[in-house]
Amino acid sequence: MDFSSLIDQIGEHTANGLTKGAIYALVALGYTLVYGVLRLINFAHSEVFMVGTWAVLGVYTVLGATGGSGVGLVILATALAALAAVVASASTALIVERVAYRPLRKKNAPPLIFLITAIGCSLVLVELFGHVFRVFFGPPFGRALVSIPSLIDTEVWLDLGKTSITNMQIIVVVGAVVMMVALDTFVNKTRLGRGVRAVAQDPDTAALMGVNQDRVIMLVFILGGAMAGVAAILYTMNYDITKFDIGFLIGVKAFTAAVLGGIGNLRGALVGGLLLGVVEVYSSTLFSSNWEDVTAFVVLILVLMFRPTGILGESLGKARA
Amino acid sequence: MGALSGSNASVVLPSVNGAKLALKQWSADNDDCEISLEEFDTEGDPAKATPAATKMATDETFIGVMGGAFSGETRATKATFDDAGLTMISQSATATDLTTEEPAAVFHRVIGYDEVQGAAIGRYLRDVAGAKKVFVVDDSTTYGEPLATKVKDELGDLVVDSDKTQEGQTEFSAVVSKIESAKPDAVFYAGYAAEAGPFLKQLRDAGVTATFVGGDGLYGADFPKAAGDAAEGAIVTCPCLPADKAEGTFGADYEAEFGEAPGAYAAEGFDVMTIFLAGIKDGARDRKAMEEFVDGYTGKGLTKDYAFDDKGDVAEENVVIWSYKVTDGTLTAEQEIPKA
Amino acid sequence: MSDSGKGSDTAVASPKGLLGLPHLGLRDKWERGPIWMKLPVVLALVSFCFYLPFLNILPFAQVRTDLSAAGTDWSSVLFLIVVYMIVAVGLNVVIGLAGLLDLGYVGFYALGAYSVALFGSSSSPVTISLQEKFGFSEGWAVPFAACIPLAIAFALVAGVILGAPTLRLRGDYLAIVTMGFGEIIRIILRNATDITGGPKGVIGIPKPPGPVDADGRDFFNGLDVHRWYWLALIVLFLLMFLVRRLENSRVGRSWLAIREDEDAARIMGVNAFKFKLWAFAIGAMLGAIAGVLFASKQGVVEPNGFKLNLSFLFVAMVVIGGSGNMMGALFGAFLITYLPERFRFLDQWRPFGFGVALVAVMVLRPQGLIPNRRRARELEDRKAEAEEAAVDV
Repeated sequence: MDFSSLIDQIGEHTANGLTKGAIYALVALGYTLVYGVLRLINFAHSEVFMVGTWAVLGVYTVLGATGGSGVGLVILATALAALAAVVASASTALIVERVAYRPLRKKNAPPLIFLITAIGCSLVLVELFGHVFRVFFGPPFGRALVSIPSLIDTEVWLDLGKTSITNMQIIVVVGAVVMMVALDTFVNKTRLGRGVRAVAQDPDTAALMGVNQDRVIMLVFILGGAMAGVAAILYTMNYDITKFDIGFLIGVKAFTAAVLGGIGNLRGALVGGLLLGVVEVYSSTLFSSNWEDVTAFVVLILVLMFRPTGILGESLGKARA
Repeated sequence: MGALSGSNASVVLPSVNGAKLALKQWSADNDDCEISLEEFDTEGDPAKATPAATKMATDETFIGVMGGAFSGETRATKATFDDAGLTMISQSATATDLTTEEPAAVFHRVIGYDEVQGAAIGRYLRDVAGAKKVFVVDDSTTYGEPLATKVKDELGDLVVDSDKTQEGQTEFSAVVSKIESAKPDAVFYAGYAAEAGPFLKQLRDAGVTATFVGGDGLYGADFPKAAGDAAEGAIVTCPCLPADKAEGTFGADYEAEFGEAPGAYAAEGFDVMTIFLAGIKDGARDRKAMEEFVDGYTGKGLTKDYAFDDKGDVAEENVVIWSYKVTDGTLTAEQEIPKA
Repeated sequence: MSDSGKGSDTAVASPKGLLGLPHLGLRDKWERGPIWMKLPVVLALVSFCFYLPFLNILPFAQVRTDLSAAGTDWSSVLFLIVVYMIVAVGLNVVIGLAGLLDLGYVGFYALGAYSVALFGSSSSPVTISLQEKFGFSEGWAVPFAACIPLAIAFALVAGVILGAPTLRLRGDYLAIVTMGFGEIIRIILRNATDITGGPKGVIGIPKPPGPVDADGRDFFNGLDVHRWYWLALIVLFLLMFLVRRLENSRVGRSWLAIREDEDAARIMGVNAFKFKLWAFAIGAMLGAIAGVLFASKQGVVEPNGFKLNLSFLFVAMVVIGGSGNMMGALFGAFLITYLPERFRFLDQWRPFGFGVALVAVMVLRPQGLIPNRRRARELEDRKAEAEEAAVDV
C-alpha cells in the first residue's frame, strides 16, 4: 500500500488513468451500440479494434513514415492511418455481422448462440493475423509483438508542478471525447440516429413505422467499428505497438467499462471507460499492476450490486422499458 | 517437445531448428544409421504436454527427449519420463526447483538455472554497471518472479523498490511513476519481450535514463524490435555464448539452412542433439544405455563445456552468462559476466 | 435473403424434422423402449467405453490419436476428454438447465484443482503452515480421499458466495460478473504467492491410493494412463446418473420453468432465486470434481492453466453439443477436446480451423448438434415467429 505516492502525484495518476480509460471508452461504444439495438454482446468487437491497429501499421509501412519524417508526411500518414483504421475496423464489424450474426438473427436464435459465433469469429480474426497471414505474407504478421513507428515524439505540453501532461495524453483524451460527442449528436439529432433509437426502443413498432431494421443494424455495427478504429489510431500513437492478440484484454476491459457505465448507454460508456481507467491506475499505484484486473472487477461487482444496470443505467433509446 | 504454436512459439522454434541442423550434419557423416526427430507441440500448456509425454514414454522407439522447453510443462511431465526411464535434456527450462524439488533422475538441462542467472545478473548490476540503486520489476510469471527474487537476494540493500506487472500489459504508467520517484540508476526487468518493449518505451518517454537490464526472456530479435529506439543501450543477459564465440560454423550454417540468424537457445538445441547423437554413436541403443551415457557425458559444446552433476545440472563453474547490449537495434555481445 | 422463404416452408410444415428424422425416430423409440431392451444396450455401451483405450482393430483404430510417431497418448487424450465431459455436464446444469450464462466456470475448476494441490501436496505453502502449526511431520499432508470433500465444500461455498449477490442480476450482467469472478480467482492464485505458491504453482499433488503394480509403480502412474481414464469414467457415470435424477425431479422441473419464463415460474410459486443458487452450487461442485481429477493426474497445477479462454471453451462445449441436453454436452466436450488432438498434423492451423468450425456449426445448427428436444422446439417457435414477422413486413 502506497497511499503517499498516490496522493502526492494524484494529478499525474489521474491523467494517466483518463488516457487509458479514453481508449476503453471508445471501444466500449461498440459494445454498447450493438447491445442497445440487438441486446447481444458482440464478443468479436475486441478483434475489430485489433484489425484497426494493423491498418495503421499498414499505412505507415506503405508510406514509409517513421519518426524522422517531415511534418507534411507525418500529418498525411497520421490522417491516412486514422482513415484506414476507421475503414478497416468498420468493415470488419460489418463482415462479422453479415457472416456470424445475420443468419442467426433470421432464425431468431437465442443470445447464447451469438456468443459462440462471436467467439468463433474472434478466433478466426486473431489467427488470421497470428498465423494465416504469416504463412502467405511473412512478417510482421505472426505471434510476436510488432512495433509501430512513433511519428510524433512525446512531449510535455502542460507542466503543473507535480503533474505533467503530455501531448499524447491530450490527443487521446480530446480525440476520444470529441468522437463521443459527435456520436452522441449523431444518434440524438439526425434522421439516421432517430432510426437507431427507434429500433433500440421497440424493433417491431420501428419496423411498422417504416424503419429498415437491417440497415439500422448495419449502421450500428459500422458506427461501433468506426469508434474502435479511432481507438486503434489513438492507441497506436500512444503505445506504438500491436500484436495479434492485443484486442482480447482491451475488449474485456472495454466490455466491463460498458457494463459499468450502463450498457446500451452512450454516455455511460464514456463514464464507465474513464472511471475504469482511473481505478486501474490508482490500484496499480496502491498495490502493483498485477492486481489491477482484480480491482477493476471488484469495482464492477460492487457497482452492479447497488445499481444493477450500471452507473447511468441502460438506455440507448432513453425510454427503454 | 515444446510450444511450437501459440504466442510463445518464437522462444522454442530456434532451438528445434538448432537440433534439426545438428541431426542433418550428423546424418551426412553417418548414413548407416537412421535417426528421426519427432516434434511434439505443447503450446506451452502443461495440460497439453502430458498426453504427448505419455506417448513418448510408452513408445519404446524414443530414446531421448529434448525438452521441455518451458518450466511449467517440464514440471508436469518429468515424473512420467522418470517412470519410463527416458532421458530428457532441456534446452531452456530454467526454473531452479526442477532439479531440487521432486528430483527426477532422467532430467538434465544444458543451461544455467534461475538461481545462477539471478546471481550473475545481480553481480552484473553491482560490479559491472556499478549501480547503487536498483529498481526490480517482474511480470508475475513462473519465469519472472523467481528470477526477480533471486536478483533481489543478491543485491540486498541496493534494491530501492520493486514492483510487479502482468502478462499482456501494455500500459505501465503506474510502474513508471514509481520508478520516477525512486530515482534508481538501474532498472532490472524479469519478463518477456512483449511487455518489456512497451514498458521500456514508456520509461524513456517519461525521461527515465536509468540503465535497463533484462534477463534471457528478452534475448532474441523481438525485444529490440518491440522497444524501437528506446531499446538503445539496454542490456540483456543470457546464459548463451555469442554466435561468433561459438566454435565452428554454427551461425553461418544455421543462417544458410533456415534463412535467419540463430534465435534464442538455437545453439543449446544444437548441443542437446549433439549429446544424444554422441550417445547413439557410442552404441547406446536403448533408454538405459542412453541415460548412463548422458549422465557420464563430458564434452565441449557450442555454448559451454558439459558435464552433468547428479541433479542433472551443468556444473555452475561451466555456466557462462554473457551480457549483450542493444546497439543500432541489434543485440551485440558486451562481455562475459564474471563468476562469483 | 432469397432462399429463406423456401427454408421457412419446410420448417413450418414439419417443425419436428430436426435431425432430418421424423419425430418418431430412433430417439423416441429408444425413450419408450422397455427396460429389458435398454439395459443390455447401455451395458454394451459402457463396456465399450471402458474398452476404448485398447481399441486397436482397423479400421476402428483410426480414431486413436497415437497412430503416427508424433501423435499423443490415446489414453491420456481419453482421460482429458472425460474430465472435460464432467465439466460440460456441470456447466450444462448452469447454462442448459437453469439458463444462467456463466463465463467464469473455469474458476470452480481451478478451485477444485487447487484444493487438492494446496491441502494434498506435502510441499504446498498451506500444508507447510499446517505442519508447523500442529507439529506434524514434514511429509504430512491431507490424504487424497479427504481432499475431495474439501474441494467440493470450497466450490459450494464459492458458488454460493458468488451466486447470492449476483444471481439477482439479469442474464448479460451475470455473464460479465461471472467472467470477472473467474479472473479474480486466477489472479489471486497467481499473486498470493505465500498461500498458493504463486505463478509457478504447486507440485507433488497426491494421486488416488491404489495397490503397487507388477512393475513396482503406483497403481495410478504416468504410464498406465488407462487406469486414470477408467477412474474418471466411473466418476463421470456416477455424476451423470445423479444429475439425470436431479433433472427429472422437482428441482429439475423448477429449473426448466425458470429458464422458459422466470416471471411465470415465480407466479406459480417457484422460488427462482433458491433454485438458481442450487444450479450454481451444483455446477460449481461438478467443476471442482473435474478439477481434482485433472490436478491429481497432472501432478502439478499453475494459475496459467486456468485462463479465461478455457471458460469460453467450456461454454462452447455445452452450446455446440446442444445446451440443455446432457448427451449434447458430452458430445460437445468430446469433439472440442478430441478433434484438435486427432488433427495434430494440422499444426498451427488448428485454432483457425476451430474458429471457422464454431461459426459454421452454430450458423447451420443453432440448436446444437444433439439438441434438447424442448429447447429445439422453443427455437423452432422463435424461428417461425421471426419469419412470420418478416413476411408481415
